[in-house]
Amino acid sequence: MKLLDVEIAENKMIANGIYLLSFESDYLANTFKPGNFVNILVEKDSIYPLLRRPFSISFVKENKVFIGYKVVGKGTQILSQKKKGDSINVLGPLGNSFLIDKFNGKVAVVGGGVGIFPLLSLCHELKKAGNKIDVFLGFRSRSDLFFVEEFKELSDNLFISTDDGSIGYKGNTVEVFKTKIEEGNYKVAFSCGPKPMLRFLKSLNLPFKCYVSLEEKMACGIGACLCCSIKGKDGNMLHVCSDGPVFDIMEVEI
Amino acid sequence: MLEVEISGVKLKNPIIAASGTFGFGREFSKLIDLNLFGGISTKGITLKKCAGNPQPRLCEVYGGIINSIGLENPGVEAFVNDELPFLKKFNTKIIANINGFNKEEFIELAKIVSPLVDMIEVNLSCPNIKEGGMAFGKDPNRVYEITKEVKKVSACPVIVKLTPNVTDITELAKAAEKAGADAISLINTVSAMAIDIETRRPLIKMVTGGLSGPAIKPIAVRMVYECFQKVNIPIIGMGGIMNYKDAIEFFLAGATAIQIGTVNFVNPNAVSEIRKGIENYLKAHGFKSVKDLVGNIII
Ligand SMILES: Cc1cc2nc3c(=O)[nH]c(=O)nc-3n(C[C@H](O)[C@H](O)[C@H](O)COP(=O)(O)OP(=O)(O)OC[C@H]3O[C@@H](n4cnc5c(N)ncnc54)[C@H](O)[C@@H]3O)c2cc1C
Ligand SMILES: Cc1cc2nc3c(=O)[nH]c(=O)nc-3n(C[C@H](O)[C@H](O)[C@H](O)COP(=O)(O)O)c2cc1C
Ligand code: FES
Repeated sequence: MKLLDVEIAENKMIANGIYLLSFESDYLANTFKPGNFVNILVEKDSIYPLLRRPFSISFVKENKVFIGYKVVGKGTQILSQKKKGDSINVLGPLGNSFLIDKFNGKVAVVGGGVGIFPLLSLCHELKKAGNKIDVFLGFRSRSDLFFVEEFKELSDNLFISTDDGSIGYKGNTVEVFKTKIEEGNYKVAFSCGPKPMLRFLKSLNLPFKCYVSLEEKMACGIGACLCCSIKGKDGNMLHVCSDGPVFDIMEVEI
Repeated sequence: MLEVEISGVKLKNPIIAASGTFGFGREFSKLIDLNLFGGISTKGITLKKCAGNPQPRLCEVYGGIINSIGLENPGVEAFVNDELPFLKKFNTKIIANINGFNKEEFIELAKIVSPLVDMIEVNLSCPNIKEGGMAFGKDPNRVYEITKEVKKVSACPVIVKLTPNVTDITELAKAAEKAGADAISLINTVSAMAIDIETRRPLIKMVTGGLSGPAIKPIAVRMVYECFQKVNIPIIGMGGIMNYKDAIEFFLAGATAIQIGTVNFVNPNAVSEIRKGIENYLKAHGFKSVKDLVGNIII
């Protein structure tokens, strides 16, 4: 992990309120593993927002790091206004990563909303390792879709769902996943998305391992402030930033 | 030039990492050189391990953050066995921040850790626990009583950390001094609250929490100034220090040393920038040492 001043290479809108930002960093591109995140100081000497903001690294290409994000509040709004050549300070790579292996059988990848961002590089690596992948993505509406072409290329089957039914299945992406569990014969599942979605996933009591990437409000991002604690199965405190963000879904209280 | 002394303990510079914002040092050691600090005040420890408060524990407001960690920590035994040996490798003073839920626990903690560290910081000001902490720390009589008992058993100098959540903080400062405290540190976080107007719920699960960061600096400077008029023991000042200019204000108000907290989350390099800034300021204004600045405000 390092503190880096980087220059924005590109920062463009790719869907309704969704942006993709990139910058060059040999260090991050070489050390990054799927699931890792970075803590970005969107504005130096700012009073509000004061803290850094955590974002997953969506993927890397050569020495370029790509971060997809959704504008939700002041920090992401400021970030969305940054232009090519502007400088931002980045702390990373942070956190643990998804387990990459050749699984003897199919892998399921289930993502919802901004939780989809960290799953793209995961699929890259899973495919590189020789896996067959079914991808389930949930969006709010047709205008919110992003990364669909990329996922199509990496997956064997891609299932899209939207809350309003404007494209794909109408409803929850975990519902769709649930209907495919039997025929899919999956060996493992990976997921990231809003808490209610992950709770639903956990309630399925899957007969195979399921790893999820969690979110909690963070201040330091490195395990020092204890803001991002969650309870483990045995009541022990775990820290999303340093013990996670990726956890075995059965090992944590969601 | 930067060296300061607190009750015989020499700090090579006056910058201390504030308790609760720097873990046990280990976390930041991968990022910055811990030797840069004059001292490190470790995350508040309790006798038994403590899970802390439920989520959400953190929210951001203008110029600061509200937290309600609730003293999550692995307990004194784990601190002594697993954390202290690592910290001891660095050339910086170790200050153990201790937290009891009653007087006996403070005494017990002081007995265990004071022989092993350079100083202890008795936290009589945590706003995020129901018993002990701020509940004790608001009452000058309790401050006196606990300080006195802790002093009796402590093998190292004792700093008493005060809460700003009172009408007159100097009453607490005087009580600590009278009981034999070697120094006082202030301020802990300011009791605060924020509400999400869409959900109409508080942004912190515990409803209220402790405000830190730039928003509390003017309050902290005022309190250091007031205490400096009333006590003769060294004051360690903190609250919203983001850069060297903020630090200088605290020295001028009467602080002998400072602690930096929230800024560590924003800028982990703050310690080296503040150190350099203080040095340059001293040179530019013809001061020989930090000591010349302490309380040197012109009214
Ligand atoms: C490990 C991790 C990885 C993340 N990866 C991505 C990513 O790849 N792309 C992306 O768009 N977002 C990601 N997020 C969420 C992102 O950090 C927040 O959306 C962002 O911090 C909001 O900042 P803001 O100033 O715009 O919003 P604020 O004004 O701070 O808040 C606006 C809203 O966002 C919510 N929010 C704020 N901080 C967080 C947070 N840390 N986690 C969840 N919700 C939050 C608030 O509760 C509020 O409802 C990630 C979060 C974590 C913890
Ligand atoms: C996340 C967090 C945890 C804290 N935990 C402790 C603690 O365990 N013990 C303590 O004495 N103070 C604790 N504090 C208070 C700080 O040490 C400091 O007094 C306060 O944050 C003001 O300084 P700042 O504005 O520079 O952060 C904590 C503060 C924060 C933000
Ligand atoms: S964000 Fe500080 S411990 Fe996780």
